[in-house]
Amino acid sequence: MAEPYAIEMRGICKHFGSTIANNSVDLTVKKGEILALLGENGSGKTTLMNMLSGIYKPDSGSILVDGKEVSINSPEDAKRLGIGMVHQHFKLVDVFSAADNIWMGKEKTGFVLKKDRYQQINEMITRFGFDIDPQKKVYNMSVSEKQTLEIVKVLCYGAKVIILDEPTAVLTVQEIEKLFAVLRRMKEQGHSIIIITHKLNEVMDISDRVAILRKGEYITTVETSQTNEQALTEWMVGHKVDLNIDRPVIEKTSPLLEVRDVTIRNDEGAIAIDGINFYIRGGEMLGVAGIAGCGQKELCEAIAGLRPIEKGQMIHKGENIVGLEPKAILDKGISMSFIPEDRLGMGLAPSMSITDNMILKKYSDGKGPFVDRKQGRQEAEEIIRQLSVVTPSTEIPVRRLSGGNVQKVLLGREIKANPNVIITAYPVRGLDIGSSYTIYNILNEQKKAGVGILFVGEDLDVMMALCDKIMVICHGKVMGVVHAHKTTKEELGLMMTGALDLTHKYADKPAGFAKDSRFEEHSGS
Amino acid sequence: MGFHIVKRDQCSLIRKCFLYVGAVAAALVMGGIVLLCLGVDPIAYYTRMFTMGTIGNRIAYKVFENYLKDFVPLALTAVALSLAFKMRFWNIGGEGQFILGAIAAAFVAFKLGPILPNAVALLCMCLCAMLAAGLYGVFAAALKVRFGTSETLMTLMLNYVALYFLTFIAEAKADWNFFLDPSSVRPVFASFAKIVSFPSILTIGKFSLNICVVFTLVIGVLMFIYQKYTKHGYEIAVVGDSAGTAHYAGMKVNTIVLRTVFLSACLIGLAAAFKVGTSGILSVSITNDVGWTGIIVAWLSQLNTAVIFIVSALICVLHYGSTVAAATFSQVDSSFANMLQGAILFMVLAADFYTRFQIVIDKKGGRSNG
Repeated sequence: MAEPYAIEMRGICKHFGSTIANNSVDLTVKKGEILALLGENGSGKTTLMNMLSGIYKPDSGSILVDGKEVSINSPEDAKRLGIGMVHQHFKLVDVFSAADNIWMGKEKTGFVLKKDRYQQINEMITRFGFDIDPQKKVYNMSVSEKQTLEIVKVLCYGAKVIILDEPTAVLTVQEIEKLFAVLRRMKEQGHSIIIITHKLNEVMDISDRVAILRKGEYITTVETSQTNEQALTEWMVGHKVDLNIDRPVIEKTSPLLEVRDVTIRNDEGAIAIDGINFYIRGGEMLGVAGIAGCGQKELCEAIAGLRPIEKGQMIHKGENIVGLEPKAILDKGISMSFIPEDRLGMGLAPSMSITDNMILKKYSDGKGPFVDRKQGRQEAEEIIRQLSVVTPSTEIPVRRLSGGNVQKVLLGREIKANPNVIITAYPVRGLDIGSSYTIYNILNEQKKAGVGILFVGEDLDVMMALCDKIMVICHGKVMGVVHAHKTTKEELGLMMTGALDLTHKYADKPAGFAKDSRFEEHSGS
Repeated sequence: MGFHIVKRDQCSLIRKCFLYVGAVAAALVMGGIVLLCLGVDPIAYYTRMFTMGTIGNRIAYKVFENYLKDFVPLALTAVALSLAFKMRFWNIGGEGQFILGAIAAAFVAFKLGPILPNAVALLCMCLCAMLAAGLYGVFAAALKVRFGTSETLMTLMLNYVALYFLTFIAEAKADWNFFLDPSSVRPVFASFAKIVSFPSILTIGKFSLNICVVFTLVIGVLMFIYQKYTKHGYEIAVVGDSAGTAHYAGMKVNTIVLRTVFLSACLIGLAAAFKVGTSGILSVSITNDVGWTGIIVAWLSQLNTAVIFIVSALICVLHYGSTVAAATFSQVDSSFANMLQGAILFMVLAADFYTRFQIVIDKKGGRSNG
């Protein structure tokens, strides 16, 4: 071979206790290429990359950089070898400016902070072709800005090989485009890039080659131009997978949940949701699309009674639910499950067992002062069996399960409670293909049973395939409700950014008002 | 040559026991070295300390009775603190709550002791002490719930408010101050041991078992059940784990916080009533530092009620034994116990690390670079 690989990993093994995270994995990265590392949750992608960036040490195997064998004992070593990693959870100091975050880790910066550091950093930023204000504090930055800063940081430290761990999970469609443009430019400048992702369309879009891992084993590396999504999925999952998402069409019933002119404030007191109107029928799945942080979280919390409603009405089966206690709303059969970015923040008690999490919403139902765990244990066993949750027992703390299994437990519990309205936000956040499809099936089963579902999502392709209608929100205002099978991604994108407003498309029927609304009978009472 | 740290999958019970016993042994060896430097025979010292001087002592039963007087307040306080800690409410105001409880109990003893039957007076003492301590604890909790103040700072500062209040009572020689002995010219606390005190319920030979010990054990069992099997206990665990989740599940988080802190402080007040009711006199050092030691005991026991009793018993041996040993070995002050307690705490923390991680020495072969 004429030119040595930028990175070559040979026979890498890594164990955690009795779990094998990587079993003799081989990986090669050429100079100036983008390599996608593909695999399901728990297939060892992040572990492998952590060994490259010096966070872990391999149990056996060797790593070659530019053809020379090296031993990477710490992130410092990795930095010196020109390997930089952008982690899924950003490693930035919130109260520092962009420049100081970069300055902090630089070598030979001297003892005193000088004013000219802003200028120096700014020069570097413009040289790489980025757009970041070096004086801006990190806590004022959007997610996408933080990510750009992370990339600038590793470039400033002289990285030739850049590892990105699921960089697109937190970005919008437009931001992803921007990120990919940056990556392509870096590639032209001769950098090698390893990108970890589960999203196949992104893999096809950005990468030159794809390396696939499955359950810690290395499967293969292929040229992106000579493969397709179906083949990649089969390598990744290990068997044939049907990539079509079902959308069962069933008889819709009368509106279950109707929301009219509802305004909600966020934690800072600003208006998060501004005079929103919509309704959900039984047997219907309504998607909610919007750029991250445009009021989805506040809406979900308000429906569940966790956040006060500033003004407006919300009726469930003709009965007012505004101002009710969360417990009273639960008892009406409205279930809300929100998967936050850290996946564990809301809905589960992470250090408690699966059993204890099963009884979270009904522990107080039984008589007497004692908690009935017997039923909870039984339900935990049922969910483990029905949704094939991978866990040694029902008494394991939820925190020790992997992401997909945690989400199955959460959704499983919500469904066990026999709700008639399910509010679910980002139920497949960070899940691999297999688990995502399990979740879609669970939701479709519920829909078939006549449950009304509000699906707050991020992946437009999925929402267009799964939901009946899609409501688009921009800055807390509804931009319109469209039929999922009639709309296009472009139309949704325009609505998400506020460029297209379809609320007055039909003069006779304003968007979000049901023909057979039960508001009239409510206002009469 | 290097090493790296690897997470352990699981740690068998035998291994755990071995590690913890080893940790205590290591701390004792450290203490032994200090003793050697002081020119004291460690074996002789430790023998005297761990037997609390009971061997060959004709009043050994008395030693054991006094030992239990130290044990009861410590165990009860540690149980109470563990309840708040389980909810991640850092109540470090055990001292202050204990002092207020003690003052309230003494107040009742002086005022109602002479006019009420012994049992009724004792009951009133317990209830008043619990109420006083409970309200003192709830004050900090209410501030946290209402204004988001830090309970750590608040309870810490309230300790000193309580302590200086007690010191004021101890030194204010005046007609209204019925806490002091009227027959003494200097300010000295009056004893009410003859008016009202907790009785013994069982006598074995010369040893008599005070009723407080029985109560403490019963309360320990009740608190174990309360935490593990009741709805309240479940709520405490959920709030401690994630307040957001508790709110989401429809729990009234603020009510739960106030209720639990009140209960926790009440139990500390009860511990104070037991202490005052058995010693029969107030003192500026009435707490015997249980508010502080209780925190250590609760953490060493990893908030497990059953283990709290064992650890309290051992820590008391340490403290009581070192006081006894100090009488024989004049070179060693009784504060040696505090040093030993610190060493044990650190060693146990180290052992804790080894139950969760292991250190792997790197094999040769990896070339270094840079």
